[in-house]
Amino acid sequence: MASMCEATTRALPGAAVIELSGEVDGSAATVLTEAYAQAVTPDSDPGTVVLDFAAVDYINSTGIALIVSVLARARAERRKVVACGLSPHYREIFDITRLSDFIELFPDLDHAVSQLTGPAA
Amino acid sequence: MTQVARPKPRRLDAFELPSEPGNERLALARVAECVRGLGLPDGRLEKLKTAVAEATMNAIEHGNKNRAEIPVEVEVTQNGDEIVVAISDQGGDGDASGDSSDAAEEPDLLKKLDGGQSPRGWGLFLIRNMVDAMDITTNGQRHTIWLTMRTGGAAHGEHV
Repeated sequence: MASMCEATTRALPGAAVIELSGEVDGSAATVLTEAYAQAVTPDSDPGTVVLDFAAVDYINSTGIALIVSVLARARAERRKVVACGLSPHYREIFDITRLSDFIELFPDLDHAVSQLTGPAA
Repeated sequence: MTQVARPKPRRLDAFELPSEPGNERLALARVAECVRGLGLPDGRLEKLKTAVAEATMNAIEHGNKNRAEIPVEVEVTQNGDEIVVAISDQGGDGDASGDSSDAAEEPDLLKKLDGGQSPRGWGLFLIRNMVDAMDITTNGQRHTIWLTMRTGGAAHGEHV
């Protein structure tokens, strides 16, 4: 089954952003793996990986499993993962699954970026 | 004392889908269209859609083993203030309740992150947390998951 998920990556100071769009389901595995590899390189070595779901309209249980795998890899590499752009429904799923215990959630990318790069309070 | 007659269950829709990966999206779209206008708040409609998608995915993959020629059957009924979606496959003599990790143990995120559980195995867990009631029946080969959602009120302390 062809993937309906697309990902673009960009680098910020100390962080890598993976902007996802479409559907995060089992068919998104390659897209997500390649995006992570592109975002996190020995040269960039970001301390934080930002997953932006603003353009995602569907996440299913196998998509949740992919996000768990990304989080596990990032934790093993001592990187923080944050997420933004989730709809209220998917925020609730992140709460139910306890993903939000390990992934800080922001309403949108601007909030995430300002928190990550803004001046300390 | 006056007794109020409970309305008879009303079948809203019934359809079949080939057991092919991705067809769960067709099921959720058709069920969502079918229950439009029945008073289900947006938040609860999203939950029902997720539950229907997960149950249909399980039926396709684990019940009918991705054999396209064996259909997944979906029936939507309204019974008073309850919407009931029945999703049936032909996996009743085997593991049709979800992937093996679904059936074996409750998903534990910390174990999954530490490699003690497969990252998968969220299907039944999600379904249980999305609807007001989930029941499973087996009659010979026929395996059915029943999803019940009330049109009023909120379950699990949720927002609506």
